Amino acid sequence: MGSAILRSVLGVMLAAMSAASVAVVMAQAPSGATPTLNLDNTDAAIKAAADAAKRDAALKNYAPPRTAWGDPDLRGVYLTATYTPLQRPPELANKPLYTEEEAVAAFKKAVEADAEVDPRTVHYDWKEYSMDAWQGGARPSLQTSLIIDPPDGRLPPLTPEAQERRQLAAAAAKKRSPAAGILTFGNTYTRCILGLGAGPLVRGGNPGADSAAAAAGVTAEVQIFQSPGYVTLVMQSNNDVRIIPLDGRPHVSDKIRHWYGDPRGRWDGNTLVVETTNWKDRRPSVNFQGATDAMHLVERFTRIAPETMQYEYTMTDPKTWTSPWTARGEMPRVEPNLLYEFACHEQNYGMINVVRGTQIREREAASGGRPAPQRGGGGE
Amino acid sequence: MNIRSTGVLVAAALVAAVGFGCRASGPADGPSAGVARTEDGKPNLNGIWQSFTTANWNIEPHSAEAGLRPEIMGAYGAQPGGQGIIEGDAIPYKPEAVAKRDENFKNRMITKITNDPSRFDSGDPELQCFRPGVPRANYMPFPFQIFQDVNQILIVYEYKWAMRPIHIDPQMEAPVDSWMGWSNGKWEGDTLVVDVRGFNGHTWFDRAGNYATDALHVVERWTPQGPNHLQYEATIEDPNVFTRPWKISFPVYRRLEPTVQLVEFNCVPFVEQLMYDPLGLYFPPGTGPDRD
Repeated sequence: MGSAILRSVLGVMLAAMSAASVAVVMAQAPSGATPTLNLDNTDAAIKAAADAAKRDAALKNYAPPRTAWGDPDLRGVYLTATYTPLQRPPELANKPLYTEEEAVAAFKKAVEADAEVDPRTVHYDWKEYSMDAWQGGARPSLQTSLIIDPPDGRLPPLTPEAQERRQLAAAAAKKRSPAAGILTFGNTYTRCILGLGAGPLVRGGNPGADSAAAAAGVTAEVQIFQSPGYVTLVMQSNNDVRIIPLDGRPHVSDKIRHWYGDPRGRWDGNTLVVETTNWKDRRPSVNFQGATDAMHLVERFTRIAPETMQYEYTMTDPKTWTSPWTARGEMPRVEPNLLYEFACHEQNYGMINVVRGTQIREREAASGGRPAPQRGGGGE
Repeated sequence: MNIRSTGVLVAAALVAAVGFGCRASGPADGPSAGVARTEDGKPNLNGIWQSFTTANWNIEPHSAEAGLRPEIMGAYGAQPGGQGIIEGDAIPYKPEAVAKRDENFKNRMITKITNDPSRFDSGDPELQCFRPGVPRANYMPFPFQIFQDVNQILIVYEYKWAMRPIHIDPQMEAPVDSWMGWSNGKWEGDTLVVDVRGFNGHTWFDRAGNYATDALHVVERWTPQGPNHLQYEATIEDPNVFTRPWKISFPVYRRLEPTVQLVEFNCVPFVEQLMYDPLGLYFPPGTGPDRD
């Protein structure tokens, strides 16, 4: 436990000292919670993670304890990082599930890739600060993709409207001025408007210290806080908060738009079902996958084992996809049961450096030098 | 001994040493009539609350004044008068600290955005959408919501969506300095007593430039007075700037609209032009190099 706190403090010190030039630096808020792991031995940690996943999978029909006021008890801090990609890789078409051995091998490969960071992006030892996901407690999964529906594990085809949006955005990117500012070169994460888990919580793994769009393992904790009539989700990343009333009240007026949407929850047996509407248009934004403010998000939280939350979500946006799609993952419970302040905007030194750095790269690209960097953030 | 258990001991020692400041007077320490209770018999603070003072302008007594940019803001920007929330007429500053407060006031709208900590030398944190700290969050003109569990209480403030956990069991020493501080709470009768330390020294008490340093120590007392209001009192000490501990107090009221909920105030996009335009990094949507 002491070492977890120590690592968190180190993370904060690092954040305070760094004024480096990439978006990922902003993710250096303290990693809130870390389970007890053998940090010196990768193989032992992978085996422990695999054993935990197997142990929980064997547990059927687990009934969680109840709170003093009678709700299923989901309280705790859970890890949202996973190495399982959102979409099934093309080479695994027709293979929705790994064997156990394949799952561990894929996990190990992802762990190794995660430990290798691009020195142009990260200029310190990523592993030393536990910012690679396996040190946080990510587990192997039999699923080859988080998406379970459509059955091919891929996002559904875009609607014509969304295709046109994407083409317009790509065309605009080609003729954009290298002198553009934060509205062009920043995204909702680098601008500290939204964190990495602002809804849905789990985005899928792309290990490594790539841009904000890919770093699945940093500050990837959510605290589920319960009180009578409410479930409240507090994200470590950006300290995003989603307040979920359970009293059956209607949504707020359609005129009211929230960055975190307007969630309403209900219990379906031991499962918390959360429906969220009234989104602001938050493109480009992590986790939204290019959806519009018409997005309808349904999340299902089921504590399937003492230390495991199953998390499933369905995204429906008729302005973006030709059909709804559903992803499912598991979030391991981690200790201690607390999060730390993530004052992102207050010391967003990265914003200045990210945008100036991008302007320089864009000018280099315009003069035939190295290729322009990809714009981070996911979505359009 | 690990760091966490050390923290508990330190917190316990602090409680013993400081005695959590002064006790509230009046009948509030006993069971109050009409106070809703949780399953474990504690006052039920769950709900949406708001205070109604002008203290965010100035926690000391103050007259109404023209606003910061009267040439464009007119009465919109004017400061209402108010009697303040402090005990007595003036905060007991050391002489040199008064000068700093006056300088803060003069520079309250001078923001200086750098990529190092000197950005915190000037400008009201509120103007820049920074976290307001404690106690300021409790008297800003926004509601806040209390979520009460047995071992932790969570407060979410509508302003900036700033949140603040209060650790009841286990308690812990602040692991690192922060804007909102680190809160450990306990019940004394019907009063929730919250010990807040671990501040980073960048927060102000109000738009008038009243301030403290990272030695700030706040002891809050939240005492229900009935079903729909509670009395808030805080003892404030910081030997770097004050000659003695001093107190603020004001009532906090429950918001009673049947479907009331917090409506997001994520102010970051509202301050980007203010902060990044002087650096040449901001162009309003659809203009200049950002027109695409």
